[in-house]
Amino acid sequence: MLSAIVKPLIAALLLAGPAAAHGAFVDMGTTEAVAIQARYDTGALMAGAQVSVFAPDNPAQPWLTGMTDADGRFVFVPGDRAGQWAVQVRQAGHGAMGYVTVGTDGAAITVTASRTGLSWAQRLLMVASVVWGCIGTALYFRRLRPAEPA
Amino acid sequence: MSLPSACLCTLAAALIIGTAAAAKGSLHLFANGEALAREGFIAPALTRDGWELRFDHVFVTLAGVSALQTDPPYDAHAGDKPRATDTVVFDAIDQMTIDLTDTDAQGRVMLATAPAPAGHYNAVVWSVVPAQSGDWAGQSMVLVGTATRDGASVDFTLTSDATHDYTCGEYVGDARNGFVTAGSDAALELTFHLDHLFGRLDKEDADPMNIHALGFDAFAAGGTHQMTLTGLHIGHVGEGHCAVSHR
Repeated sequence: MLSAIVKPLIAALLLAGPAAAHGAFVDMGTTEAVAIQARYDTGALMAGAQVSVFAPDNPAQPWLTGMTDADGRFVFVPGDRAGQWAVQVRQAGHGAMGYVTVGTDGAAITVTASRTGLSWAQRLLMVASVVWGCIGTALYFRRLRPAEPA
Repeated sequence: MSLPSACLCTLAAALIIGTAAAAKGSLHLFANGEALAREGFIAPALTRDGWELRFDHVFVTLAGVSALQTDPPYDAHAGDKPRATDTVVFDAIDQMTIDLTDTDAQGRVMLATAPAPAGHYNAVVWSVVPAQSGDWAGQSMVLVGTATRDGASVDFTLTSDATHDYTCGEYVGDARNGFVTAGSDAALELTFHLDHLFGRLDKEDADPMNIHALGFDAFAAGGTHQMTLTGLHIGHVGEGHCAVSHR
């Protein structure tokens, strides 16, 4: 009996959600991120390579996976989890690891980067660098006003 | 505090310390010659000069194998000495000759298991050394097989008496390996990339591996030949790199 009432109610709420929206908001801000660029030792960029990011508190399982862009770049935001982050990049039998240590010092995040790795056939250079932007989280936030519905 | 209470506290502290000291697991060590050792160089993965190779045996003699926890993580590209915070020495591999074609169901050769303090083993040190005894005493690597090109086949035995010393960083593969926790097992692998010996026809000529590889033309007459491996990076940890020196 209860199920007969609850199920239609949930379905109605799910259907009603998007229809009830009158606009959209975008919250913007700045934060610190880790940017990597993966290359072979020939200098060729590792475009479209498989990326796995491992967080300090669970280093055996990927925290994030993705793919490098056409320039071999990949960016992620480690947040406030202090410790050693590891980034693995692989492509067609070539692979390497890079490491970034994120420490917390009040609102500031300090980052040191190291690199390691040669590929199966060639040396792969993965540079972990930091987008040094503003210190702290979201120095400003700006909410874009929704456009007036037509 | 009464005497019995003090004794109990002391006993409890000893148990805690003892438990912490015993926070060990096991580290399993494997060797892997991958498909090129087990199945050979088969089209499209022929040698850089177009030979099909099939191996009856790929003998390698190992020694001096240790797994390390390093901080910072060892950078094989830089080639510095690893800074180990913990080291597990595989004493069982004092001198061990293995055949990379004789594997388990996962295509690996089991080398040894050792008790290991908990932590992440992100570096491995090992050597390929001339065997001190056996049919191939004096040789560190022996490859026995058959090569075929343009319908003609030759049997070959390729040997090397060189010593290679490898210092490797973290294993790179489908899963991140080497994490030992109390009471649990972890595995590491010494990986042999035979395409660094013979090159690959399915790779570009300009690929550094093909530029440096020996190929097979030099051995096309068949029979027994000594290989010169100086400068070749045969040993890896999965896809991860090792610094290598030859003696």
